[in-house]
Amino acid sequence: MLPIDAAAHSSRWRRRHPGEKAALGFGLTLAAVCLPPWPGAVLVAAATLGVLLGPAGVPGRQLWRAFRIPLGFCVTGAVPLLFEVGGARGLVALAPDGPVHAGELLLRTSAASLGVLLFAFTTPVSDVLPRLVRAGVPAPVVDVALVMYRISFLLLDAMSKIRQAQAARLGLTSRAAAWRSLAGLGATAFVRAFDRAQRLQTGLAGRGYDGTLRVLVPEAAVSGRFLVATAGLLGGLVALTLVLERSLP
Amino acid sequence: MHIAEGYLPPVHAAAWGVASAPFVVHGVRALTREVRSNPESTLLLGASGAFTFVLSALKIPSVTGSCSHPTGTGLGAILFRPPVMAVLGTITLLFQALLLAHGGLTTLGANVFSMAVVGPWAGYGTYWLLRRSSVPLMVSVFFGAFVADLSTYCVTSVQLALAFPDPGSGVLGALAKFGGIFAVTQLPLAVSEGLLTVLVMRLLTQSSKGELTRLGILLPGARKPGTETKTAGASA
Repeated sequence: MLPIDAAAHSSRWRRRHPGEKAALGFGLTLAAVCLPPWPGAVLVAAATLGVLLGPAGVPGRQLWRAFRIPLGFCVTGAVPLLFEVGGARGLVALAPDGPVHAGELLLRTSAASLGVLLFAFTTPVSDVLPRLVRAGVPAPVVDVALVMYRISFLLLDAMSKIRQAQAARLGLTSRAAAWRSLAGLGATAFVRAFDRAQRLQTGLAGRGYDGTLRVLVPEAAVSGRFLVATAGLLGGLVALTLVLERSLP
Repeated sequence: MHIAEGYLPPVHAAAWGVASAPFVVHGVRALTREVRSNPESTLLLGASGAFTFVLSALKIPSVTGSCSHPTGTGLGAILFRPPVMAVLGTITLLFQALLLAHGGLTTLGANVFSMAVVGPWAGYGTYWLLRRSSVPLMVSVFFGAFVADLSTYCVTSVQLALAFPDPGSGVLGALAKFGGIFAVTQLPLAVSEGLLTVLVMRLLTQSSKGELTRLGILLPGARKPGTETKTAGASA
């Protein structure tokens, strides 16, 4: 199981309705993207971190491990904004407003990523997918996504073990060997995926499979108080941003 | 190559979502038709999607000494066709955003457009044209994967250039800037992905002839790659 999904399964908010957590997490992400980066994204990031580490109970170390991936993309993505090319000041030169734009982008992407992580760290994908049918997503698409989700973990686990076996057999010692091993890994993933699908098909056929995958969805009521608190937090962040934007430099 | 969460301004994020929507809806309709007429294909399509997801987790050695991962769009499009790849690619990108913190939800439309729409269609188109011209299977597979990878990065460069025009030279300057940065790493990576895809396909023709025949890559009775007729895999 992948670390974020494993954390979501044991989250303090696991039993909460995914709709509540989506409203909070995606609301914060939208606020980060739509509000002015200074001071909006800073406030959103601070509030999201507070919720993640406080009420949601996400361990700081796990959060940092997951957050450093998008953070790396944010930093490398901001670097090109520091430069301008082909302008009046030469082929490549430092852009006059480059640091400001890069900083704003960094703030916006960091805050937005934290919002998505809030949802991901508290809501297993297996809780979300079956509910998408009620949201209007065609059932066959949801079924395919469910099968993808289940088989992906098995395949990732198998890939990891095959990789270890290849390394133990000196399959990664030279560039040529590494390429051969990599190709073997890709081909094995294909074979395993189809083999798994065929075995699943045989098993389901024995249980009267009629084309619909029925799964139990844990019942959870939508909490009005949670939604009101979410609306209050988002409204407060917007109001505070607008007030501070006028008073801060 | 994934555009990170929050990287695009809201208007751009929404516009790319609108641009991707018709392709995804078309793919959803094709997939729904297929599943309703043939319920067992749910499992096969799920396995195909899982394969695409896992493929994108493989690490390719890069010329710079670092590693990158294949997009998987070329191989996916050749095996499963672009309309289905639009749906499987969208689900894969959604899983990557939620399970790996890779990509994002506000940038999902832009990422879908580059990786699940343009990449598969460009790669499959190249493969189809080459097969129609009687080019050997493995050469067609190489160029299909190469073009799919490269077109994905070209579209991503355009998306970034439109979002962040260069202060001195506008969108064209920004395109040169982002394209230039990508070209250093992505041209060798596109070649790498093409080679990897050929190696994977070679192994598959030896170990999974039945599946490849069912998917239309090989014709029934074909003994080895290159002996099948030129229309194999070229019928969408």
